[in-house]
Amino acid sequence: MRARRSPVATAPLVLVLAAVLSLAGCGGRATTHHKPGTSHQEATGTSGTLLAARDEGGHRLRELPTADAPTVRAEARPDSEGGWNVHLTVERFRFTPESTGGAALPGRGHARLLVDGREFTRLYGPWGYVPAGAHTLTVRLHADDHTVWAAAGAPVQTTVRLNGTPTGPTPTGPTPTGSAPPGSPPASPPTSPRPTASRTPDPGRTVTLTISGKTVSPPPSRIELKKGERLTLRVTGDRADTLHVHGYDRELPLSPGTTATLTLVADRTGLFEVETHGSGLLLTQLVVR
Amino acid sequence: MTGLPTHAAHAAELGLPLAHGVGSRHDLPLSPFYAYAGAFAALLISFLALGLLWSTSRFRGDLSGRPLPAALQRLADAPATRTALRLLGAAAGLVLLLHLLLGPDDPDRNPAPGAVYVLFWVGLVPASLLLGPVWRLVNPLRALHALHPPRNPRPLPAAVGIRPAAVGLLLFTWLELVAPDNTSSATLLTALALHCGVQLAGAARHGERWFAHADPFEVYSSLLARLSPLGRRADGRLVLRSPFHGLDATPATPGLVATVCVLLGSTAYDGLSDNPRWITTLQTSSLGPTPTATLGLLAAVALAAACYGLCAGALRLMNRSLTTPLTSFAHSLLPIALGYLVAHYFSLFVTEGPRTVIMAGGTDNASAPAPLLGPAGLATLQVAAIVTGHVLGVVAAHDRSVRLFPPARAVAGQLPLFALMIAYTLGGIGLLIA
Repeated sequence: MRARRSPVATAPLVLVLAAVLSLAGCGGRATTHHKPGTSHQEATGTSGTLLAARDEGGHRLRELPTADAPTVRAEARPDSEGGWNVHLTVERFRFTPESTGGAALPGRGHARLLVDGREFTRLYGPWGYVPAGAHTLTVRLHADDHTVWAAAGAPVQTTVRLNGTPTGPTPTGPTPTGSAPPGSPPASPPTSPRPTASRTPDPGRTVTLTISGKTVSPPPSRIELKKGERLTLRVTGDRADTLHVHGYDRELPLSPGTTATLTLVADRTGLFEVETHGSGLLLTQLVVR
Repeated sequence: MTGLPTHAAHAAELGLPLAHGVGSRHDLPLSPFYAYAGAFAALLISFLALGLLWSTSRFRGDLSGRPLPAALQRLADAPATRTALRLLGAAAGLVLLLHLLLGPDDPDRNPAPGAVYVLFWVGLVPASLLLGPVWRLVNPLRALHALHPPRNPRPLPAAVGIRPAAVGLLLFTWLELVAPDNTSSATLLTALALHCGVQLAGAARHGERWFAHADPFEVYSSLLARLSPLGRRADGRLVLRSPFHGLDATPATPGLVATVCVLLGSTAYDGLSDNPRWITTLQTSSLGPTPTATLGLLAAVALAAACYGLCAGALRLMNRSLTTPLTSFAHSLLPIALGYLVAHYFSLFVTEGPRTVIMAGGTDNASAPAPLLGPAGLATLQVAAIVTGHVLGVVAAHDRSVRLFPPARAVAGQLPLFALMIAYTLGGIGLLIA
């Protein structure tokens, strides 16, 4: 008579399960029983500074100090049936689908995927899918009240090109966007995630390249690297373009006057060319031994 | 080695062509150790050869060789074998054409560019070295021509020789090393149409013999096959022979020098095109990158030819009775060209070749296998290939020289040739350091 277990035996089990589930659900903030935006208090929405600027979808930007602002990296892997599986890596950010529509709390919200500049879907978790035919994917972090998280005046977002072979399974594939508006100081783009410095203390080498017209300065030469060495390329162009590191197949959008930064670990030996696609210029060669 | 995909991404977008048409990984430049070792070996071998090699000619060209079993020869010469090879070639050509016409215009997803630049062009080298002049057996154009052979073919003027093939080879190396968008379907189809048009028109006028003189790939394959251990004796027997004999039997047709100079010059330009200084020149040239690169390729061929011309002139001065100084020694440059080809193309062939085959099997975004050799192994192979080519060249030239020169002058008579070969070899190694 297993099917008719007495209710006395079941009740404690249900209680324990409920307790476990509720604990798990409250893992982030044990101090409240209410999800943000679902409490009895009215949502204040005072987190950060609401900027006048809006994104393409008309959402206001909500700025946080750069140290508190979330960051996002995206990685796209081809699916065997076509299209791309997208994986987001966020820092200082949680996906909070249960409280969407509530007040903006720092470090909470959802992501929106823009395919070729048009809004495609939202993500309430780190994984998503983009069908074949897409060329660029922009991932932007939104707060629960649909405002766009921003730092230093620019939305927290990242852009991945999908028309080449993506960067494969190595986790070194962030392509920080250079989408800061022209005229902003050519400092490191605010949205570029800091490399995971804790894992590899060696900052590696940094090479700064400037393109003006058809001239590259310093002129094309060979950067000698040991296998496994890290290299950071800081490239400033005078036109919108795409930087491409052959062999490693890393790409980076360039905007005029803005320095874009690409970090890679030289894990393949050989001679590889670093080029721009639009102007077809060879910037430098990497010699990895 | 991680299996990251290598590919000629967006080659169509680039103003600068990728060297070799496909492949995004280039070989490492040689380290000075290998370069010095190679240069020293080349010099030492040359001087040893001068003093120690035989004083009467030993190579008997196509009179020598150990016959293969008659059954094997019957099989090789059987009409069924020939027809099967012809059909195989025609089928492969058709598949390539269909891929170009119907496949995606992207060298990462379409195997056609890799098939042309790696499997066919680079693959002809090992195939011809192992099996002899294979391309004339599978050439799909011969199959097409056989459908409508001309009734009264005009004889080809003897002075033409293999000059049309030299021009064709120069055009193909231009396509491979210089032309923009050289992996796009449109470019490849245009080149293919041009090639087929010229070859079929020539064959319609002059008959099937035209291909042996004008099809660049047949001539290329036949010249490389001179170094194959498998050859055909003058009496038609299929024989195994030392490559030296085969090399010695290279017919001194008009255009042989031009063809060899195109091979030497284009491989030299291939090495040069990786040099950052040359790239800076290309990018900042007021002519634009493609015309500048074209001039560079022509200059490399002209330089190879000028060096050879100088050497031939010196030979003529030393021996008035030598009426054909240019063609008499052209065959000895073939091994040097082969050494360059192996050094430049080996890793491309072993990485991009399998990738192309995988792609043709239907896998998109195929990743190239990891390089077969480590950097040190590859450098050793490159230097060894160039030095071996040099040695074969020196020996071939020595034998020809003791045959043509009176004994008293035979050693001195080789000096210009040896100087030339050392210059070529050091130049070849220098380009790999670049």
